[in-house]
Amino acid sequence: MHAVYNFVSGPLVWVSFILFFGGSIYRIVSMAQMAKKTDPVVYHFWSLKYAMRSISHWIIPFASENMRKHPAMTIVTFAFHICLFIAPLFLFAHIILFKASWNISWIYLPDTVADVMTWIVIGACIFFLVRRLTQPEVKYVTSFSDYVILAIVAAPFITGFWTYHQWVGFRIMGIAHILSGEIMLAAIPFTRLSHMLFFPFTRGYTGSEFGGVKHARDW
Amino acid sequence: MAESVSEGQSLIADEGLDKGLDRLTPDKIEKTINSILKNETGARLKTYVSTCIHCGLCSEACHVYLSNHDPACTPVGKIKLTIWEILKKKGKVDAPFIRRAAEIAYTECNLCRRCAMYCPFGIDIAYMISIVRRICHRLGVTPHYLQDTAQSHSATFNQMWVKDDEWIDTLQWQEEDAQDEIADLRIPIDKEGADIFYSVIAPEPKFRAQLIYQAAVIFHVAGLNWTMPATPGWDNSDMCMFSGDNEMMGRLKKSHFETAMRLKAKKIVMGECGHAFRSVYDMGNRWLGYSEPPIPIVHSIQLFSELLRDGRIKIAKKYDKTVTLHDPCNTVRGAGLHEMIRMVAHETCEKVVEMHPNREHNYCCNAGGGVINCGPPFKNKRVENNSIKADQLKDAKNRGAETVIAPCHNCHGGLEDIIHTYNLDMELKFLGDIIYECMEKPEE
Amino acid sequence: MRSIPMKQRSLKISLIITLIVTLMAAYTVHSQEDVKTVEDDAFSERMRPIVPFLHDEHNENALIEECGVCHHVYDDNGQISEDETSEDNQCSECHLPEKSKNKTELIKYYHNRCKNCHQQRNAGPVMCAECHVKK
Repeated sequence: MHAVYNFVSGPLVWVSFILFFGGSIYRIVSMAQMAKKTDPVVYHFWSLKYAMRSISHWIIPFASENMRKHPAMTIVTFAFHICLFIAPLFLFAHIILFKASWNISWIYLPDTVADVMTWIVIGACIFFLVRRLTQPEVKYVTSFSDYVILAIVAAPFITGFWTYHQWVGFRIMGIAHILSGEIMLAAIPFTRLSHMLFFPFTRGYTGSEFGGVKHARDW
Repeated sequence: MAESVSEGQSLIADEGLDKGLDRLTPDKIEKTINSILKNETGARLKTYVSTCIHCGLCSEACHVYLSNHDPACTPVGKIKLTIWEILKKKGKVDAPFIRRAAEIAYTECNLCRRCAMYCPFGIDIAYMISIVRRICHRLGVTPHYLQDTAQSHSATFNQMWVKDDEWIDTLQWQEEDAQDEIADLRIPIDKEGADIFYSVIAPEPKFRAQLIYQAAVIFHVAGLNWTMPATPGWDNSDMCMFSGDNEMMGRLKKSHFETAMRLKAKKIVMGECGHAFRSVYDMGNRWLGYSEPPIPIVHSIQLFSELLRDGRIKIAKKYDKTVTLHDPCNTVRGAGLHEMIRMVAHETCEKVVEMHPNREHNYCCNAGGGVINCGPPFKNKRVENNSIKADQLKDAKNRGAETVIAPCHNCHGGLEDIIHTYNLDMELKFLGDIIYECMEKPEE
Repeated sequence: MRSIPMKQRSLKISLIITLIVTLMAAYTVHSQEDVKTVEDDAFSERMRPIVPFLHDEHNENALIEECGVCHHVYDDNGQISEDETSEDNQCSECHLPEKSKNKTELIKYYHNRCKNCHQQRNAGPVMCAECHVKK
């Protein structure tokens, strides 16, 4: 158990960080370079002003027409994404690990708050799953990989929740938690989870075209 | 429920598509697709495909899906059946697949870009459908009627096989007719140095010649210095843009721009057409390397609103039937002219009621993007696949609207079929129709 | 609503008081053998359950004879002093001299002391819940 723990909490952390940060930089830089060659139009019509105008309408809940059309989805997806970032980044237990390893620390959440946020993430994942299984238009475009991606995201939260509450088998779950967190990080740049990286660019470019060229709103 | 091509073969026979298939070989398909993917696409396509999280939220955008509730007709559903499969199989798709992809791309998507405003990532799905059309064009699998207009463009530089003398003859015929109403009216042909080079789409001289008459009256009364060319380049339409024939799209635009430049016109004013406007400020100009048209281009909607604003056209008696407004995708979502349409409508009509949703969010007519140009084989599907528009029109009618103003030729065609099929009994007008009818004209 | 009879209530209160007094006594009067948990006054509020730690048993199992391994004192050169130890001090006296300071600083020293040693020796608890056991 020590060897496994040492491995997943040591070298594998580095591997996942390198894959996440390196991979993210690689994806963005290679996209930017490729665009220069194949889609220079993106650079030409890119407008920071209109990109920000569009992005802001899509990162504020209910600021776009489609969000108002799907209130449940909007609430769930915002709660999900907020908790997905805030809970792990400001979790006391994670900060203690950063402090012990790299001597850095920052503000943290009370554990009960983090607990609720974890519930929200897991609940949202269930919502997304049910949506995929029941909504015909979503089901139609759902492939196996979509379930895998959902599982990749849900796993660190389920295992983390389990471990925190010290339910039976928490040691295995703790290892699974670390491992699944690493898998999620590493998967972000190389799966459709990369929507996290590309959102500002795709939305921003469409915003630029709509705002700068077509004089229309895109929200 | 209208037939979609999601499962198996479509029941709709089309000579262009079906004969096109006979010429395909697996090798040709693979080579053609990969050559396009390699040489004509790149970062944008790749990013769009890898960013789409398959959430299905774009469904809300598409009038086809909202009309038939077929999950294959959501924007992302159409991408699944075309682009995803092409990329997954690296171009190794079979002829029936191409048949299906062509029918989806040409007849179930209007490239109206509403989905780009409903996708949380702003993924330009219309752009991806255009790639599918490009592939189909290069494979020679294009709907027969659409291809016919593209052939006409190639042969005559206009969409409707209008002969050069027929064009001039039509202008003179309209001038003579208009002179019965206003004796000193002229349609100045090939005049150098005019302020306005007026261009129209070929269906105007072909079967809506009264629109040229009306425009001439409006321009004459407003005292504009204008002209129309005697040579090819007069047609601003561009079905090649929609068939996937980018090379020809560029040549058409070049001829249009250069004809205006040859006449040393200060600007081009375009008739009430949407796709033609898209072709000059968005697609064709870019193909030619211009980020904006090389000569200022103004849409009739804008010209009319300016003429009314400046008092160069005065309204004698407002149009007394209640009107509602249809926002064409290419001039509204594509060019932001929606408030100008409203300004003109309010200046000229007693009562205007809005359709909902409106402005950038308005539902497409399902005729644009070359869909109506795919002709009779697909007409029933086109009309059935836009029952949401019929509902929208009916709602406006229930609130008193008797007349629909649609400042776009394609929209006119599409709405006409919808109004007829769904027994809506509403009248269709261009802005020019209303202005011509209501404006102050010189007394004889 | 049913109220608790007076007699029963006073019995309860006295029981609670007895319990608190006993606990406080156990807390203050302790010798080395009685060390059963890891504690430090600097931790005013606790984020995790207190860590059970049987001092003598742990050191027997771990074959630790030198007190200075844990109860170390640093000399002026920053080296662990060989002939000085700090059993009478709380860790926080040196490791968190300003009480207001971020408590993660002190937690770091505790964790590194226990966990790093366990990891090196492949023995003893290393995961959060293995030490901070919920009751």
